[in-house]
Amino acid sequence: MKSSTWFALALGVGLLVALPALTTPSLLNASIQMLIAALFACAFNVLCGQGGMLSFGHAAYFGVGTFATVHAMNAFNGAGLVPTPLMPLAGAAAGLLVGIFAGWFATKRTGTYFAMITLALAELLHALAPHLKGVFGGEAGISTMRMPAWGFTFGSSTEVYYLTLAWVLLSLGLLYLYTLTPVGRLTLGLRENTHRLRFLGYDVHRLNVTVFAISAMFAGVAGGLQALNTESANYVLLEGHVSAAVVLNSYIGGVSVFLGPALGASLMTFFGYAVSDLTRSWLLYQGILFVLVMMFMPTGLTGFFRWIRVNRKAHGLTALLPLLVAGVLAGALLSAGTVFTVEMLQRFFSQDYRSMAALHPGTGWAPIALFGRDWLPTSVSTWAVPLGLCAAGGALVYLVQRMWQALVERSEEMQAPSNAAAAAQGDAP
Amino acid sequence: MENLLVSLLNGVIYGLLLFMVSAGLTLIFGMMGVLNFAHASFYMLGAYFAYALQGSLGFWGALVASPILVGLVGVVVEKYFLRRVHHHGHAHELLLTFGLSFIIAELVKLFFGNFPVDYRIPASMDFALFRLGASNYPAYRILMGTVAVVMFVLVYLLLTRTRVGIVVRSAIYKPRMAEALGHNVPLVFMGVFGVGAALAGLAGAVAGAFYTTNPNMALELGVMVFVVVVVGGLGSMGGAMLASLLIGVMTSLSVGVDYSLADALAWVGAGDWAQGVGGLLTLKLSSVAATIPFALMLLVLMVRPSGLMGDKN
Repeated sequence: MKSSTWFALALGVGLLVALPALTTPSLLNASIQMLIAALFACAFNVLCGQGGMLSFGHAAYFGVGTFATVHAMNAFNGAGLVPTPLMPLAGAAAGLLVGIFAGWFATKRTGTYFAMITLALAELLHALAPHLKGVFGGEAGISTMRMPAWGFTFGSSTEVYYLTLAWVLLSLGLLYLYTLTPVGRLTLGLRENTHRLRFLGYDVHRLNVTVFAISAMFAGVAGGLQALNTESANYVLLEGHVSAAVVLNSYIGGVSVFLGPALGASLMTFFGYAVSDLTRSWLLYQGILFVLVMMFMPTGLTGFFRWIRVNRKAHGLTALLPLLVAGVLAGALLSAGTVFTVEMLQRFFSQDYRSMAALHPGTGWAPIALFGRDWLPTSVSTWAVPLGLCAAGGALVYLVQRMWQALVERSEEMQAPSNAAAAAQGDAP
Repeated sequence: MENLLVSLLNGVIYGLLLFMVSAGLTLIFGMMGVLNFAHASFYMLGAYFAYALQGSLGFWGALVASPILVGLVGVVVEKYFLRRVHHHGHAHELLLTFGLSFIIAELVKLFFGNFPVDYRIPASMDFALFRLGASNYPAYRILMGTVAVVMFVLVYLLLTRTRVGIVVRSAIYKPRMAEALGHNVPLVFMGVFGVGAALAGLAGAVAGAFYTTNPNMALELGVMVFVVVVVGGLGSMGGAMLASLLIGVMTSLSVGVDYSLADALAWVGAGDWAQGVGGLLTLKLSSVAATIPFALMLLVLMVRPSGLMGDKN
């Protein structure tokens, strides 16, 4: 790694360590969630981004890790062989075992089959869980307590934060080292060309199961941290939306870079926390963002950063800056228009509004309060706002495209004469 | 005996319904190699469109209009979304449809609320067609089965007996050759995608009135449909039919079976031990009926990974 990368990493870790002193308790809780989501996404990425196996059922291994940790916490009471800080080991073990079992089946097939099998396995567990009261605690779930150990009480979120941070950093470090091992390199081979691996004499199925189990193990660690954080587990953890969230987050962050999924997951978790009081449609925005990323920016956020870096070298920052500013402005306008439309529709179609309208017939549609103003849902001016925003955004997008084309043409022109000059110089002597 | 017959009939009709959705999925997969994750969402859209339209068009009008609308949605998805990312590969297309299914579910929640809506069968259809022993058999179930069967016969005839069918089949078999011969293959793809979506929409419009119409119905059925195509073998229509019926009948029959693994073990004298162990061993088969298709899928994957009627790959 380059020294600048080391510097950025040290800065990031330093910031994470200093975080409890800088933020409020509720933000600290959100940070714990972000760290857990980041680790989960990175574990998922071992399978998906590096191994090329798209799993739609990773919640199963996360959930199994949580349940195993909760059971271990209840069994050991913070003493004995596994004290509280080492509890995620129970999640790791459970994730590994279930991962080997599920992976053996799932990796029988590749590609889209694999995706469907992982989905069905997760649904199998989800359908079975409520009936197995002893293990999954039925509808109520099971709860536990963080017991004091090693001189810590684990009563405050600061201590839980540091425990989570230590585990997440350790796991991410291990996952990174894993990518440097021969198995880690072979994982990339699984994604690129399994035929060649088989030809070289590797047992592809066993390799697949290994990668699957490692991914499930670290998902289990993330699940264990979740158990330590919430002190409870419910079979809702095994639901499809947990699996969906990790797929969405990882791709939004970018699966081609090691820390891309972590970036996506922590960003999305943070936004989810920040807007949870403001909107009920957060999942819709998340879905729209995901589809936009898949259509226009397939390498995700990290791919976008890389694009900026490459083009800064090629065109210079001064030429790129107006383009970026206009692009960001266009994005802001378009998202403002979308958010306005969605929130307006959400309020208009909500049950409260409908029953209010039914209570007072003959008075027409009541105005809807949104962004500190009252809007009449039937007036043209209300809907002209999002339309105007989107039109302005669209025009800006068009402008950005034109600017980009001009930039590319100019740089080609710049290169062409210099090439010609170089050729002429070559001929001269 | 009557119970057995009734659950058998219920199972077959549920299986036909599953086939109606999985047929479109299999057709699209066979043609474009795209596993359309949003396919079950088209099923849900069918139910919700029919629910929204029945006020103005009546039940039967909505039953006709809703699949057409869903088909149009399918055409839009193919033309403006899938075609744009085609060059990124199949995994990318799968992910895109996954995102779309997410958006569709959230939009449904936005417009209709996150709870079941009051979409029910019309009073004119709410009667018993015949009696089987002590139980009345609802006419609507028979109607669902009939719609499914008629649909298949029509699609089958269209594919095998008409000129359009020849073009579609050649576009599936050798798309480049068909294109070289002057057929508009992208248009064929779009059409098949639309028809597949419309079939799923029809299934939703018919079944939504009988079962519940809620924002979760896409996921519930979608998982079942994926199990069907894995068990049957992706791309194989016959396999999809067989697997749909098998899964329909199995889930329907197992609901009525009040035995557990412990009862089976009692036959070999280990019943008391099994009762003591508890957990999985004492779970009644009826309570875990929902998991039977998954168990079947694991079994098929172990003994015949390419599916019941799939090609060896």
